[in-house]
Amino acid sequence: MMLMNRLAWIKSLADYLGGAEDLPPAGLSLPASSSWWGLWWGALTIVIVLFCGQASKFIYIDF
Amino acid sequence: MIFTTSAYYILLIPTAILFRIVGPQVRPWICVASGALFFIYFSVTEVGGWLGAACILIFLWEAVISRLYSPRSAWCLVGVAASLCILGIFKYWNFTTGLLSAPFGRNSLVWRGAFLPLGVSFFTFEFIHYAVDRYYGRVERGTLGQYLAFIFFFPTLVAGPIKRFQYFGPGVEQPSTDWPADWNRGITRILVGLAKKFAVADLLTSVTDHLNRADIAAASRGALIVWILAYACKIYFDFSAYSDIAIGSARLFGIRIPENFDWPYARTNITEFWRRWHRSLWRWLVDYVFVPLGGSRGSRLSVYVNLLSVMLISGLWHGAGLNFIAWGAWHGSLLVIHRLWTDWRPLREDRTPTFVGLAASWGVTFAAVTLGWALFAMDLPTALFYYRRLILG
Repeated sequence: MMLMNRLAWIKSLADYLGGAEDLPPAGLSLPASSSWWGLWWGALTIVIVLFCGQASKFIYIDF
Repeated sequence: MIFTTSAYYILLIPTAILFRIVGPQVRPWICVASGALFFIYFSVTEVGGWLGAACILIFLWEAVISRLYSPRSAWCLVGVAASLCILGIFKYWNFTTGLLSAPFGRNSLVWRGAFLPLGVSFFTFEFIHYAVDRYYGRVERGTLGQYLAFIFFFPTLVAGPIKRFQYFGPGVEQPSTDWPADWNRGITRILVGLAKKFAVADLLTSVTDHLNRADIAAASRGALIVWILAYACKIYFDFSAYSDIAIGSARLFGIRIPENFDWPYARTNITEFWRRWHRSLWRWLVDYVFVPLGGSRGSRLSVYVNLLSVMLISGLWHGAGLNFIAWGAWHGSLLVIHRLWTDWRPLREDRTPTFVGLAASWGVTFAAVTLGWALFAMDLPTALFYYRRLILG
């Protein structure tokens, strides 16, 4: 049961960091400042820049 | 492409800002103008050329006929039939005539230069939803601007999520006013979507490219398993990334649209999987195919037939090919087997599933879904060859 609760918490955290949830999971003490989100967006931008240019189309667009 | 082009963001950001600063009466028309521009530009550059762009006339037709809809009106049926015709002609003409002419060896009715209008599989489903819901009086008529904004809203125009007018229509004139939260969540969602697409889905392409007859013939069983697992990951990250960008883009407007994914691979049975995979399509299929067929009413046998029918239609919708029909039949069979199982051994509320039981259920569900992707990824003879090599070596 504890493992399932832990997994559910990790899912909530991933959803929050992914922008799918508006509120962080209970017990998370992330600084809600704009600088923290700036850092997160910066990290995502670096990943995007590093891997972009492979130019494959989205599978679901036949369409 | 589209969501990975700079042109998309050059259109998105100013439109979203403009949408939020103008008055409620003007907002729908911002959606219409930007959607029309989006449709024409990306039709010309990505699909169909100017002929594809001319398909914007389909939206004008829909704008006219949808104004005639009222509860129990025959115009609603005309609208549904017209949407099915549009989808049938553009998407299934060559497939159907090819099947019918197969015994004669030559398809004299083939449409050379056939193309698909941008987003045809999705916008026709939204047209059908509105026509059916108007017929049953489940949705208000809305203004012309609201309805045009609904069908032209460009973040969802190409591949959904499939929206419902009753939720979108009023929201387009009264969007959320919480700019900071909407832009924080929207930009995060878009960036995460792009990262998933580039860093995971596209990276896996080098592995999934092996899913062809020549490579399958020479591969070990281990490689075959790795390749199909890679495809399972790729298709999830690819389409959920697409949905993230669409939902995040809508959020910049202050508009919430339906979610498409909720950790489908973590589910422990096939019914739960389908409630979490491409959810907006699943709900559409339930409301406009499964329920009209009789749904869960009637005998057990009729429920099984309904489930199978829904998934066959789902398969055919995903692509005009025998492999997609087989993929639909596979998932329909899995849903029937799950229904048979739960009819035989219903869940008892006083009994909590054990960890081992849940893990086994997850393993079986994930394996069944993953094996099914072979039918999605390859044409039917190649997929059957894949299964033969996987099972018999």
